[in-house]
Amino acid sequence: MANKRKKVRLVLKTKVKIFFKEKIVSDPDIYLMGLSASLIANEAKPGQFIHIKCSKDNYPLLRRPLSIHRIDKEKGEIYILFQVVGEGTKLLAQKEVGDNLDVLGPIGNGFNIYPESKKIMIVGGGIGVAPLLALCEGSIRQEKEVRVLIGALKKELVIEEENFRNLGAKVDVATDDGSYQYKGLVTDLLERVIKEGWLADQIFACGPKPMLKKINEIALKANIDYQVSLEERMGCGIGACLGCVCKIKTKGKKEEKVKYEYKRVCVDGPIFEGSEVVWDD
Amino acid sequence: MIDKPNLEVEIAGIKLKNPVMTASGTFGYGEEFSPFIDLDKLGAMVLKGITLNPKMGNPPPRVIETPSGMLNAIGLQNVGVEALIKEKLSQLQKYHTPVIINISGDTIDEYIKIAKRLDEVSESKKIAGLEINISCPNVKKGGMLWGTNARSTYKVVNQIRKITKLPLIVKLSPNVTDIKEIAHSAEEAGADAISLINTLAGMAIDINSARPKLANIHGGLSGPAVKPVALWMVWQVYQTVKIPIIGIGGIMKAEDAIEFIIAGARAVQVGTANLVNPEAPIEVIEGIKEYLAEKQIDDINKLTGSLII
Repeated sequence: MANKRKKVRLVLKTKVKIFFKEKIVSDPDIYLMGLSASLIANEAKPGQFIHIKCSKDNYPLLRRPLSIHRIDKEKGEIYILFQVVGEGTKLLAQKEVGDNLDVLGPIGNGFNIYPESKKIMIVGGGIGVAPLLALCEGSIRQEKEVRVLIGALKKELVIEEENFRNLGAKVDVATDDGSYQYKGLVTDLLERVIKEGWLADQIFACGPKPMLKKINEIALKANIDYQVSLEERMGCGIGACLGCVCKIKTKGKKEEKVKYEYKRVCVDGPIFEGSEVVWDD
Repeated sequence: MIDKPNLEVEIAGIKLKNPVMTASGTFGYGEEFSPFIDLDKLGAMVLKGITLNPKMGNPPPRVIETPSGMLNAIGLQNVGVEALIKEKLSQLQKYHTPVIINISGDTIDEYIKIAKRLDEVSESKKIAGLEINISCPNVKKGGMLWGTNARSTYKVVNQIRKITKLPLIVKLSPNVTDIKEIAHSAEEAGADAISLINTLAGMAIDINSARPKLANIHGGLSGPAVKPVALWMVWQVYQTVKIPIIGIGGIMKAEDAIEFIIAGARAVQVGTANLVNPEAPIEVIEGIKEYLAEKQIDDINKLTGSLII
């Protein structure tokens, strides 16, 4: 786009009501939660997140950033999908239908689906599928041909497979132990799909960093545009504290010794071009 | 009946419509918070610490939660003084709230260069004052080192004093053996006010990997966890210096701010709370108003140092 000025995005601090809650996987515990949040739903786009205050008091102190899993603009609802990993998500999982949540959002840049793209590849590892269902829905609404690859440790941890399929995507699954469909890493599956000749115009991924890094190599080799959803320990979520940074290559500054800079995952991301991320960590 | 108590205070010659400022490093360059609050309602804005040249900061993870607090090791990532003047301050011209620039340097020379530059543009860019950061625990050189020694505190403050007429607030580190001595040095050197405390140096360890949770190994502790330490230091400094004190440390709500004011603070800064609740400073202002009305105190200034022992 010629216009370099960033569009002002509306971020709200608001109370939203939980209208739905379901534990979809046990050990590790994964929950799907529906929130009545018409203002957020109205603004939200796939790849953005909301920043949730999980505690009533000062422990844990900070908010928790969670991807928007599904956006229903007509009903004014959004869904979040989260795994219980620490004190914050534990408290969140204890909330019940009818409870209110204090949230900031929608935050972040969101995925960029190019109008000219015809074929979209979506790759999710583990709980990394969280932001991808909304993306899948958005892609299909734009009449793209969508394939989804889901990676999980074992069959019981494969999440949202049917939901992607119901949207109209072709879904394949890779499990580390081979207990369901393809045995091996989801990145191996991606390589196989490419080798078989299904070449996407864009790859989108979210999941563990080694997976994201490997997909970057695959995408570079196959010359496919690749966007990735990153995460980092986050403070404010509104771009002020500079806590949640990641290394991003600097462009067009050859004379400088440093070839990267720290960009904020919260508002400069969380979606970055795979090719601009410094994957050394 | 007092239903409209006076909230105005004066710090270092800067008139504030209320005693609630934002703490440097937690409020970006101000504009980040404009979607959430009316910046004109704040007593003052203290912007993200600035250095002479842009600084890229420390590798992530930079923030880690600890019980009722957080450790940060941002490493003073900032755009540098020129970009601050050109871009960030220009964005703030439409507001009427005093803007205070927090400055840091590796050398005295750097502090002086920044202060000179800001002094030059102070009228055109409406800079109300400088807060001298001699207490950042997260940078390798300079930073906290200046503020952990009475002599170097005197030196850096005095040198800056000589080259600018801008009000000078000196931000003290709690990582010292005797805060009174440092505060006294700052006052002697010509500081107009003192703000305290900056973060407490600390660390956290991941016991599964046996690695530090922060890439920088250590960081600065802030949030409710540090409030008792900060209060005690404010009280000690209040008994030592004549210049006004700005209390900082774990202020999440009005009650916390009032504690600091009773301990001797003329004004307060809301810091970590901004990261949790961008509306926190406004809620603190409202809460102070309610408290004064309830206690039938007509002027906030009467509360400063009103501790009864």
